[in-house]
Amino acid sequence: MKNIVLTINGKKVSAPPGTSILTAAEKNGIAIPTLCSHEELAPYGACRICLVEEENSGRLMASCVTPVAPEMTIHTDSPRVKDHRKNIVRLMIAEHPESCIVCNKGNRCELRRVAAELGVAETRLYPMPNHKPFETHNPFIVRDLAKCILCGKCIRADHERVAVGAIDYSDRGFSSRPVTLHEMPLEKSRCTFCGTCVSMCPTGALSTHNTFFTGTPETEETTICGFCGAGCSLSLGVSDNRVVEVNPSPDRDTVNGATLCVRGHFAHDFLLSPERLLHPLVRETDEEGNTRLAPTGFDAALSTVAGRLADIKRRNGEESIGFIGSAKCTNEENYLFQKIARVIFGTNNITSTGAAGGHALIREVAEKTKGTCRVRRLSSLENADAIVAVLSDTDHAVPVAGYHIKRAVKKGAPLVVIDPYRSDLAAFGGVWLHPEKGGKSGAFGIDAINALTARLIAEGGVDRAFMDRYANDEHGWLPAISAKDPDALAKQAGIAPERVKQAASMLKNRKIAFVPPCDLLERQNGKALLDALFNLALITGALGDKNAGIFIPALENNAVGALDMGCAPDMLPGWRKISDASEKESVAAMWEAAIPEKEGKDIHAMIEAAEAGTLKALYIMGENPLRSLPDPERVRGALKKLDFIVVQDILQNRTTELAHVVLPGAAFAEKQGSFTNMEGRIQSFIPVVSPPGDALPDWAILAMLARKAGYPEHYTAIEKIRQEIRRVVPSYTALGSHRQEWVKQNGSEIPDSFPLAPLHTPGTGSEPDEKFPFIAYIGSRRWHLGAGTRTARSARITASGRTGEIEIAPADAMDLGIANDSENGGKPIIRLLSPFGAIERAAAVNQGLPKGHIFVPQGFYGNDAMQIADFNALKPPGSGWRNVRVRIEKM
Amino acid sequence: MLQQAEILESVLERYPSKPEYLIFMLQDIQADCGYIAPESMEIICEHANVPITQGYSVATFYQSFRLEPQGEHEIKVCLGTACHLKGGERLVENLERKLDIHRGETTEDMMFTLNTVNCLGACAMAPVAVVDDEYISSTTPAKLDKSLKAAQQQ
Ligand code: SF4
Ligand code: SF4
Ligand code: SF4
Ligand code: FES
Ligand code: FES
Repeated sequence: MKNIVLTINGKKVSAPPGTSILTAAEKNGIAIPTLCSHEELAPYGACRICLVEEENSGRLMASCVTPVAPEMTIHTDSPRVKDHRKNIVRLMIAEHPESCIVCNKGNRCELRRVAAELGVAETRLYPMPNHKPFETHNPFIVRDLAKCILCGKCIRADHERVAVGAIDYSDRGFSSRPVTLHEMPLEKSRCTFCGTCVSMCPTGALSTHNTFFTGTPETEETTICGFCGAGCSLSLGVSDNRVVEVNPSPDRDTVNGATLCVRGHFAHDFLLSPERLLHPLVRETDEEGNTRLAPTGFDAALSTVAGRLADIKRRNGEESIGFIGSAKCTNEENYLFQKIARVIFGTNNITSTGAAGGHALIREVAEKTKGTCRVRRLSSLENADAIVAVLSDTDHAVPVAGYHIKRAVKKGAPLVVIDPYRSDLAAFGGVWLHPEKGGKSGAFGIDAINALTARLIAEGGVDRAFMDRYANDEHGWLPAISAKDPDALAKQAGIAPERVKQAASMLKNRKIAFVPPCDLLERQNGKALLDALFNLALITGALGDKNAGIFIPALENNAVGALDMGCAPDMLPGWRKISDASEKESVAAMWEAAIPEKEGKDIHAMIEAAEAGTLKALYIMGENPLRSLPDPERVRGALKKLDFIVVQDILQNRTTELAHVVLPGAAFAEKQGSFTNMEGRIQSFIPVVSPPGDALPDWAILAMLARKAGYPEHYTAIEKIRQEIRRVVPSYTALGSHRQEWVKQNGSEIPDSFPLAPLHTPGTGSEPDEKFPFIAYIGSRRWHLGAGTRTARSARITASGRTGEIEIAPADAMDLGIANDSENGGKPIIRLLSPFGAIERAAAVNQGLPKGHIFVPQGFYGNDAMQIADFNALKPPGSGWRNVRVRIEKM
Repeated sequence: MLQQAEILESVLERYPSKPEYLIFMLQDIQADCGYIAPESMEIICEHANVPITQGYSVATFYQSFRLEPQGEHEIKVCLGTACHLKGGERLVENLERKLDIHRGETTEDMMFTLNTVNCLGACAMAPVAVVDDEYISSTTPAKLDKSLKAAQQQ
């Protein structure tokens, strides 16, 4: 379509039809004040500050909602316009309370700014402060609605961006305000405390609950969120070398745009935790034989580390030392860490606790697609043609990925949710496939996907051309599944056949975006389910499409990067297999060093080796295995047998208590580095505050260690490590050149021949039995990331009083005589026993659970949930430690 | 409530699952049940595919929607300009004391709901009150008393 030509302030400008006058003006460097418009929100026109005058008609119009028209002659700054704007501001201020002077929004208040620009000092109107509720009970958000100017940004952010729908206007006129359902406090509403509305509010009506700081931060700097794999860009407000406020960064093209989640927005107060490690500590023994960790300097501590490790290596061989790296540490740190393990200490015993935190899925998908589509962009997910969410945990585990799904659905993408639980997503519209009538709990996902696949095949909803070109049916999967009766498969899953038909008709001939949970391979039958998903993706042609395919949410913020850097016992940087001699040789040549022959031990094998006494020392960086691995008692027993443990971390934790040397590292905001998010976005950042006490960036500690251990290369600056990564890791050639780069995937095309997996008839796994009649799933709630080592130190998360009740289906609660009776002295305490251990917690009824299912949220009570999990389920290929048979005892 | 559940079912059947039918559905429930119960609100919003807060927003925007069960008899006292000047406010306060409720509320025995309105278009008769469908002109507490008694005896 032809551009429209119009005049703004005497300047001829042109803009595509449909552009608002505001946008056209801004594109041409003409600023118009606004209070209610935001580039990520639909135009609204509530505040009228953006008024402009059209000369020909003499009309005043709100520029943010008026599209450009041919021959318009616009004045954005005429005396008449200014006059009207002033009057609007005067009215707003007349309604404002006097507490404006001490408002936390301070100099960032947009109303004050607009008033100042227009020169409105006194209103000369009768002040009519509009006293409305003041809400400070929750630890996250303060709502002082007397300062609300009804711009509707919070409501629109809540509905359009994060798609929660916790708030909306109530009433009309003077008494109108953004409220929750039945005007309950936020914590009793559906609010997820993502804080997106807080960052958008132009005034002090919504602000962050800060108990330790008031006013405007001195500086604001951009960094990357240290929690989940979405890798949101944050703007950290800093005063006095403390992070006092967090907002989404204003940079363009970030993954999160104007949104965040509760962890990113509010849980970074863990940086100020009194439990931060401030000094290197070395274990000393006094005269009575008691040991304690005594503070020392880095030089002494690292000499001890280098000396002891060299000694152990000399006496017990390379295989006796293990290294546990971390998906919480940067690319540079993981790279250096694995290199130290391999080159200096001569072992491939380098792993992470990612085996219990989503790494398996990332690896499996990379393997299956031969590295061609291991990462997909969330912006593609938002533009998907159709979405199938399977057992999806994104809403809680990777909330920003969840927003993308919901926004896609709002834009009209059909959504099919396959989940025995009624998650938020299941209730979001679309078709929800769930076991209405029985079915085996552990097999549900596979049965449901098979039913859907068979139905799609029966209805001809298959991309033949794509299939013929790429799929290789060596196991005869297609004839096998085509021979099945789709309705019988649906019934086997416990789903009403009608619903599967409905789902299939919505998906037919569309390119589907599949979203499994991050922890799929930690669930029972996860591998078979992934196979079934891949087959479906292949026959519908989803894999080759930009906005379709399999989207892998990453639980931890550098899960992808840690693997890319070779933080794995069988892989060198750049996903080079140790078992492949030529790949190994190529890295050895670049390193000018020998690389140990044998593949190293994964986390399961390391713990077993410690138990057997063959592993003598562990160097743990940024992980707390005593909290994050199943069966903590067993892990503790194993660690206690070691001769020497080094823990490099930011917080005192259970693992540091066992350590012989503790090295205080720096958190994400305190160092330079890069993280790679679930989309393969490599995001570089610089320090925003300095580390507490003597703590140092982890890469700097590792560099010092390398030097102490006699390594010739001196990594004096992060750029030195980056140079090496750019050379060694082919997909990272752009690392560090810009704030944001993308992982280069192997080739742009998908592989020529994809094997279709055989038809799986799921095994019974840990189906419940008489002794343990329920099946529990240990999963995420948004308040804690994974094991919760950091989130549990967030004063706000702790104060929110979320207690992580064990969730029980209504029918089971009835049978057991457990009710949600908070009136009768709180929630009932139950004991949950599995074949591996027991925990005691309060129980609550979750209306969304089917009979026989129990949900145990992770991260609470020191992550005690791990006590009921089976450590041996971690043994590759992994039998799904997150699902476990349990029984309930009332206390 | 059972009754509301049945009515709800027939309402849902009448309207497609689209946001634009939200108000129609709320109106039908309001007409048949006299108010919109929280459960009904939830189900209607789910059917209309809108967040439940949006249903609440609509229901509080229009004065004709009620979110709580209403008393058997409705008392409306006019607080428009004319009636206000003629002591409408005092009438309301009087009723509040007598019935032991605030404006907008319903007595515990579910007999009376007390509401205020802004001008009933009968300013010549100010202050005006309405009990059910009966208009009272030049209202006094005594006159109101009588009407309430009469209503109660019906
Ligand atoms: S609370 Fe803030 S964002 Fe929400 S309507 Fe009021 S002024 Fe706007
Ligand atoms: S914090 Fe998030 S979920 Fe809560 S009201 Fe604001 S935008 Fe909605
Ligand atoms: S935890 Fe994840 S979704 Fe939340 S702000 Fe951080 S990166 Fe974003
Ligand atoms: S910015 Fe245009 S009306 Fe508010
Ligand atoms: S003011 Fe009461 S009827 Fe008009």
